[in-house]
Amino acid sequence: MAPRYVSITLVALILGLMLAVQFRTTNKEVEPTAPRDRAHELTVELKNLAEERARLEAEAEDLERKLSRARQGYAQAKETLEGEVEKAAVIAGLTPVTGPGVRVLVATGTQTQGALFTVRDEDLLKLVNELRAAGAEALSINGERLISTSEIRLAGSFINVNTRKITPPYEILAVGDPAALESSLEIKGGLVETLRDWGMMVTVESMDKVRIPAYKGTLRYEYARPVREAA
Amino acid sequence: MWLGIWLAAIGLVLGIAIGFNVPLVFPQAYGKYMGLAVLAALDSVFGGVRASMEGRFDNAIFLSGFFSNALLAAGLVFIGDRLGVELYTAAIVAFGVRLFQNLGTIRRHLLKK
Repeated sequence: MAPRYVSITLVALILGLMLAVQFRTTNKEVEPTAPRDRAHELTVELKNLAEERARLEAEAEDLERKLSRARQGYAQAKETLEGEVEKAAVIAGLTPVTGPGVRVLVATGTQTQGALFTVRDEDLLKLVNELRAAGAEALSINGERLISTSEIRLAGSFINVNTRKITPPYEILAVGDPAALESSLEIKGGLVETLRDWGMMVTVESMDKVRIPAYKGTLRYEYARPVREAA
Repeated sequence: MWLGIWLAAIGLVLGIAIGFNVPLVFPQAYGKYMGLAVLAALDSVFGGVRASMEGRFDNAIFLSGFFSNALLAAGLVFIGDRLGVELYTAAIVAFGVRLFQNLGTIRRHLLKK
């Protein structure tokens, strides 16, 4: 009879245990886990998010590409601008330039050679003018670069270029077609012949390479303003 | 006879007390299987009561029936859920019918006395 009572007690004990646990479980004493519907919802959401992520990744890639293209464009624009600036600097006379050209030396002759006049500012002006007419691209007199505002002017007993005193002998350097520059000066009945007739010592020399220094002064534009055409 | 009933009552109360006090809980997702196991166990217990009333109580059958019914019921429903078959309803109906049959038989035996 004993095993019977043992088994009855055991079964009753287990049944009571199960009932109590089940009761607690059903009455939501425990932390509820995600129900099935919620899991499905989350799966759908995950799928949507994955799709969105893929889309955003594609967009990011596209933007990256655009950015790199823009950078390329920027580099090109910069290069172009730098080129423009350099060109403008050459034209303005703010950078030293070099190239083929002529060297003109003008000196007052000594009295024994029958000099009539000393070299005047006008003579240099005429020479510069002549060289410009012959297509000189850059000019300097005794190391003074001639720019758009340069003057050649007698001041006392000296000639001023760029407000700096220069002394004879005068050396004019010009970059341009050497043949054209030289012939424009040496033409029969031309300027150089006239100057020589007046007793000045003028030598014109074609050179493969002439180096012309940059303008050393400062540029000040107080009144001039660029005009921007209204579109 | 009365000793058995007293022992059963004491066991039940003790089990309930333990069940309410142990920190062990099942996740809600498994509550369903636990519930079915409880149903199967109840069925077995009522089956045992009925058998003892009919005078053919067998300890081995009672014990094996109690455990195998509970475990099989929960296990089958679990497998059914994994396979996508709603065995839960079938188990509920089967055990419910047996439970009421057992209860009815017990009532009759009590009334016949």
